[in-house]
Amino acid sequence: MIMIRSIVRPEKVDDVLAALMEAGFPGVTKISVVGRGKQRGIKIGEITYDEIPKEMLLTVVKDSDKDFVVRTIMKAARTGDKGAFGDGKIFIVPVLESYTISSGVRQNADGGIEEVKP
Amino acid sequence: MKEILAIVRLNRMNQTKRALAEAGLPSVTAKDCLGRGKGLVDLQLLKGAERGYEEAISQLGQSQRLIPKRLLILVVRDDLVEKAVHTLIRVNQTGKPGDGMIFVMPCLEAYRVRTEEYGDIVLDEG
Repeated sequence: MIMIRSIVRPEKVDDVLAALMEAGFPGVTKISVVGRGKQRGIKIGEITYDEIPKEMLLTVVKDSDKDFVVRTIMKAARTGDKGAFGDGKIFIVPVLESYTISSGVRQNADGGIEEVKP
Repeated sequence: MKEILAIVRLNRMNQTKRALAEAGLPSVTAKDCLGRGKGLVDLQLLKGAERGYEEAISQLGQSQRLIPKRLLILVVRDDLVEKAVHTLIRVNQTGKPGDGMIFVMPCLEAYRVRTEEYGDIVLDEG
């Protein structure tokens, strides 16, 4: 199991969410973040803006779905045909266990399912 | 050392914080977030469906609304992961959809900025 942390433009979030829903991955968490990238922010005249608002999306998927989901997000988050600076980044993080609180079901990295009784 | 990401209901935050403190894991980072799961709940649609409007019932399961939640980030020692997860589940479980998820991820190192110490000693005792 892996977590896909994608940082995308705020105006593209709805497109990405719709694309993920259509692709069959409804579970998403969205967090507002600010940041800068390789271009060191945006310079307009004398002023540099280096805290550019973005949205971070967290999605947890099976290892085998990784490439498909990453490609779906990239396709939806890109601006224009070739993309532009500021379209964002995607990071992949391993997840060892995931728990669904309502049912108390644990899913291990290898796909094993087990019920937890606290 | 493991990082625990828990997404919980807003109105359970006080109980969650108290329970974690009692379990000896008081350090926590919290962040507002929005999210959706596989449940696809839209409160207005649900209300409409309860009252029996045909349109609302036909649209159930198609909404893409994001629901406000609280994201908790804890970093704990390997042997305390089970205790933390059980505490979180015990406090937050109502049995209905929307209770949230918990993810356990590896974390390589932790530093205390004040003293430059690192390793398990900067984490909670449990």
